[in-house]
Amino acid sequence: MSSVSLERLSKRYRDTDVVRDVDLDIAEGELVVLLGPSGCGKTTTLRMIAGLVQPSSGHVRIGGERVDPLPPRARNIGMVFQDYALFPNMPVRENIAFGLQERRVARERIEARVAEMLALTRMQPFADRYPAELSGGQQQRVALARALAYEPRVLLMDEPLGALDQRLREDMQREVARIQKSLGITTVFVTHDQQEAMVLADRIVVMNAGRIEQLGTPEELYANPRSLFIADFVGRSNRLHGEVRELADGIVRVGLRNGLTIRARSTTAMTVGNAVVCTIRPEKLRIADATDNAIPVTMRRRSFMGASVDLTVEAEGGGEMLVRLPATTAHVPIPGERLVLAFDAVDCLCFSETPG
Amino acid sequence: MIGRTRHVYDAALVGALIASALLFLVPQFFFIRQSLLPNVAPGVVGDTISLDNYREIVADPFYWSVFGRTIGLSAASVAMGLLLAFPTAYLLARMAAPIVRWLIVLLLISSFVSVVVKVLGLSLLLGTDGPVVRTLGALSFGFWNVRLLHNDVGVAIGLVQYTLPLMVMILFGVIQNVPPSLEDAAAVHGASDWRTFRRVLLPLLWPGTLAAALIAFNMNMGAFTSAVLLGGGRVLTVPIMIQRKIVLETDYPNAAALALLLTLTVVAVNLAALKARPAAIAGTRAG
Repeated sequence: MSSVSLERLSKRYRDTDVVRDVDLDIAEGELVVLLGPSGCGKTTTLRMIAGLVQPSSGHVRIGGERVDPLPPRARNIGMVFQDYALFPNMPVRENIAFGLQERRVARERIEARVAEMLALTRMQPFADRYPAELSGGQQQRVALARALAYEPRVLLMDEPLGALDQRLREDMQREVARIQKSLGITTVFVTHDQQEAMVLADRIVVMNAGRIEQLGTPEELYANPRSLFIADFVGRSNRLHGEVRELADGIVRVGLRNGLTIRARSTTAMTVGNAVVCTIRPEKLRIADATDNAIPVTMRRRSFMGASVDLTVEAEGGGEMLVRLPATTAHVPIPGERLVLAFDAVDCLCFSETPG
Repeated sequence: MIGRTRHVYDAALVGALIASALLFLVPQFFFIRQSLLPNVAPGVVGDTISLDNYREIVADPFYWSVFGRTIGLSAASVAMGLLLAFPTAYLLARMAAPIVRWLIVLLLISSFVSVVVKVLGLSLLLGTDGPVVRTLGALSFGFWNVRLLHNDVGVAIGLVQYTLPLMVMILFGVIQNVPPSLEDAAAVHGASDWRTFRRVLLPLLWPGTLAAALIAFNMNMGAFTSAVLLGGGRVLTVPIMIQRKIVLETDYPNAAALALLLTLTVVAVNLAALKARPAAIAGTRAG
């Protein structure tokens, strides 16, 4: 097990910066998720750690050692690929043994280790099957077993659960978390699914346009998004457009487009007259008989989600909003009903409309 | 109503099948029958059925040497062709550029050009006054006066040129079916480039490569134009010999027997190669 450090890591293809000046320190045994929309540079970053892509500039350190000049095979890392990349010409047992055989490990040791890996991933009954005879979830387990068999220093996972259906995906997330914690292996996991990132990560690195947008625990990112992009990408947020009227002690008074005035928490430097976007989480809205920091709306649709009831409402002056109430809520409004939504100023985050 | 159209539809399909079968089988019947008849005088065929033509061919070492040379030239050309086609197809298949599609189209179009035209270009290139021979001579200060035309080397080069576009196209498809992530996985899990080739690529590409090689071999065995033009009458292969039997000796039965033996040889080589296939794959699996 080793730490991983990325120092001003960059990748340029012709005139495009795919990854720009990424600095990141990953502690030993930590599971870090690289999260971002497609094309944000997360997979390229992962492939640079693996040595499958050469950085244009910057360095990769594993356990303090600079691995830039080393080919992938000399880096001693395990990797799970998006399409699993199991060798179709070998049965499960031999796929798992591959890394050990290439390292010229003694036969008895290989057999013992393969048996251990089959047990760890609960794949013993399928040891002699070929990849084509396995389901997606089973192939995923074999890919994980193959990557872990030779006790690599670091485990890299490139959207490994993308091809699985929702239910299996959740099972596999728990499985990956269990195995990662039981081995204590430093892991970098790439995904575009924020839910998955929240379930797995010790820390999440949100990437956008080749840069790290924000880095923190799931709680930090959810509660204190540093930009509108993060507020939108991690969890769901309602957006309210308006203009700064007044500033005092970190609280902004915002005049909304529909004529209402609300109070929100300012996040970045802004001045009176700036165009801003205020975001508020659906669960921070409550139905109340209030006039202060309140938005009158009309009820449109309800969706029962099991643990919560989601209401889609229409704000006066246009714009849909999402409200999340506990499933135990006694009175759920009916469509057409007029309501007032209230919220605390600290729960409403105010961002400048122009980024930066 | 639906049942009725269905019948008409089926009848059209079966009719086409029967017509195709007749077009193939009827000439074959007369051709095989002719190979069993005696040649009484030039151009005159008798009517007693016997295996005499075959006995005569099998008993004559001259025919054996011609068959041997044809097989040798065909196999050598396949080997040379594979050495050129495999890396080319690999590069094309792994290049993630739109230009690849145009290169493949170009390759396809070039394979429609008449062999005669292509051979003409090749003989200008390889002739005694051609650029290749001159360059080799100049580089060796006149000591190396290699001949690349009107001998086995010329024929082999011609056969490679004849089959290369098809080999590249077949191998391109075969290699494209192996996802690059398999090579990445092998590299990350500890394999060198050579070991990746040996343990992952070769076992997966072997069946398709064998198919490409057999198709090229079969084309070479039957190649007439390249062999006759680049061999310049000095290289005798089975197709050229058959042509001579017909044109110079007007010995149709003997020509038919030779043609049938050529077909049987090709079939035998193909069956042997396909039978050897599973063993070869098992061999690569052990690593």
